Amino acid sequence: MHRRFRPGWAAAVALALAAATAPAQDGDVAKAVAVLKGVTKEGTNNDAAGPAWKTVVDAGAPAFLPTLTAVDDANPTAANWLRSAAGAIAENEKKARRAFPGAELEGFVLDPRGAAPSARRLAYEVLLAQDPATPARLLPKLLNDPQPDLRREAIADQLAKVKTGAPGAATLDELFAFTREKEQAEAVAKELEIVGKKASVTEHFAFLTQFRVVGPFLSEEGKALTLSHPPGTAPDVAAEYTGKDDTKVKWVPQATADKYGKLDLNEKVGRLKNACAYALAVVHAEKETAAEVRVGSPNAVQIFLNGKKLFEREEYHHGDAMDYHVGRGVLKAGENAVVVKVCQNNQTDSWAQRWQFQARVCDATGGALPGLTQVVDGRKLPLGAITQPEGKK
Amino acid sequence: MTRYLTGSALTLALALTLPAADWPQFKGPGASGVSEETALPTEWDKDKGVKWKAALPARGVSSPVVAAGRVYVTCSSGKRDDRLHVLCFDAASGTRLWHRQLNATGPTACHPMTCMAAPTPAADATGVYALFATGDLAAFDPDGNLKWYRSLVGDYPAITNQVGMAASPVLAKDKLIVPMDNDGDSFLAAVDTKYGKNVWKVGRPRSINWVTPLVRETAGRTEVLFAGPNGLTAYDADNGSKRWLYKEGAGAIPTGSVIGDTLFLPTGGVSAVKLGPDGPAGAPVMKAKEMASRHGSPLVYRGRVYAADGNGFIAAADAKTGKTLFKERKKAPYSASPVGGDGKVYCVNEKGVTTVLKAGTDEFDVLADNDLGEEVLGTPAISGGCLFIRTDKTLFCVGR
Repeated sequence: MHRRFRPGWAAAVALALAAATAPAQDGDVAKAVAVLKGVTKEGTNNDAAGPAWKTVVDAGAPAFLPTLTAVDDANPTAANWLRSAAGAIAENEKKARRAFPGAELEGFVLDPRGAAPSARRLAYEVLLAQDPATPARLLPKLLNDPQPDLRREAIADQLAKVKTGAPGAATLDELFAFTREKEQAEAVAKELEIVGKKASVTEHFAFLTQFRVVGPFLSEEGKALTLSHPPGTAPDVAAEYTGKDDTKVKWVPQATADKYGKLDLNEKVGRLKNACAYALAVVHAEKETAAEVRVGSPNAVQIFLNGKKLFEREEYHHGDAMDYHVGRGVLKAGENAVVVKVCQNNQTDSWAQRWQFQARVCDATGGALPGLTQVVDGRKLPLGAITQPEGKK
Repeated sequence: MTRYLTGSALTLALALTLPAADWPQFKGPGASGVSEETALPTEWDKDKGVKWKAALPARGVSSPVVAAGRVYVTCSSGKRDDRLHVLCFDAASGTRLWHRQLNATGPTACHPMTCMAAPTPAADATGVYALFATGDLAAFDPDGNLKWYRSLVGDYPAITNQVGMAASPVLAKDKLIVPMDNDGDSFLAAVDTKYGKNVWKVGRPRSINWVTPLVRETAGRTEVLFAGPNGLTAYDADNGSKRWLYKEGAGAIPTGSVIGDTLFLPTGGVSAVKLGPDGPAGAPVMKAKEMASRHGSPLVYRGRVYAADGNGFIAAADAKTGKTLFKERKKAPYSASPVGGDGKVYCVNEKGVTTVLKAGTDEFDVLADNDLGEEVLGTPAISGGCLFIRTDKTLFCVGR
């Protein structure tokens, strides 16, 4: 709902604004937006960006959507310059009691191809501030939105409707397929169970559950990422390696039945210090597929895809948030070797004994990718499938 | 009586007419935690003795800062805590002047007690410098115009701290000192306040650390004193060169203070060492072993060292001898650091109750227990005769 204005008051404001400032031309805004998009690392172009930011904000409402649109292909640093400018415009318009054109904003929000998710989220919030009916109208159309907050709110909205038996609500199966967050997936799975359906959170999140693990190898805090061994870049399941303390180590089939894919290396490899192990999962893709390999672990990790290192991080025992480590790559058509190296340090504190990880392969929204299977003993199983470990049948 | 009233009226008049002193960073001027202002409040609750209050959009464990009549506060919100907020209020009226938002560009995983709005911003008359635990660093002028912005994780992707960062930036003349001790690309940097570009950046031990750097002037130089796992290192603020290392000054969470020529450090209690131009001069002159806190930093005020700890104890020691004067338990733990002014010590616990002590005495002399009824983890600010207390949802200006 747009606010009503008294014509006299609005005219006075318009005259005052016109007298006070010379409005920026479209070209000025475009140039300023280009300057903001030119900001890169370590403050490069910050000197030009400050004045450009003000030019954009001073241009007011006409610059709002162009600025948000520009977020689409901006680097994350430039995106924040643009996003904050759009936010400042929105705040100024609100203070001046001016509404944005609702239809234009709505079109922007509902076109997931149109702009970066974060920009569409801001547009949604501006729309919501103008029109309390926005959620009821838009959320049912945002169940599969790439913007995580819009998606979550849309699913929560529909889940509430399902629970109350509201007509026209999405099905629980649809909601489960769309959800990307742990708590929400659990909530929908619970509702599915109530109506007698099985829902595997493990498969939903596409956790890797079937591995071959080799180790231990030597690792040391501070060197975990530089002490490399063959299984990372050239995994060969038939090979035997010289591991920690000159012991011979081989790949051993290992599986996890943990709901969130946790593989406990203390259990599988041994309760060791200054050690690392490599876990290999073979993922089959029907076609070339861009994918994220997301890992959670309280230990230092490296992520490899077909021998190429995608990601590495050395941090110990500060948490194991799901998806904290993200490696981005492209799965080739056919079989792919996903290897996670997990390194334990030598801390003796009771809270620093875990040596474990969880890993999943998903799209950029965190959703399962179509056409992927995990190859286990020659069989293709869904990602997240929980079976007995190979060799222990 | 007449003389008392006249004196009180004069004090009040002076307090009302003197310009408000800034509280520009974590623990205020020089990280001392001390305000020189008078006529500070003693008693209040959420409905009484509050000059104004303003709703905050989200949680934060950072402190408010005050500069040139403006109060700046940071918050973080969202399911993933990835929405970063910087707000500016008129210190006199509480009017919200502007509210800017950024998206987190670094990881947001952290201990549930903290959040991405954990570092306290730094401010001066030219605006505010807001650092978040995500490594996002932004400078706004007093009118909310973005002067510059850096994504430190974008610049240095190996930065990592799954517990959550909380060390605060501080100003050293025309430089902003940015602490970024972590398990990955660990560093201390100085960026120019005009454009946010690196003036210098020095490597640091790869270890998480929540200590805020101190700044001191000595022999015509400005030094940045930064405690970490291997001791307290002094850096030349102009170029980042290492000047001296005090190995006994290792720290990880609370921040010390420099009072005159004495460095007080929270090193398993609180110790004090005299500083010369080239670092500590001799052995510690004081050790107060019972002054350990968990998150909060100790306060040195009116000849006493005060600490409020994670088990709900408020303790005081003689600042010269280290002798424990009292250690009394209150009803809830303390995360906020005690602050002092007007002869009082303010200790705000996690439940939002501020215990006001009479400062400079040897007894646990409680003047008031003031309940705001909301979670408080950030240290209060003092300016303009008021205490600025940020809860998890409200900014309170307590005073007249």
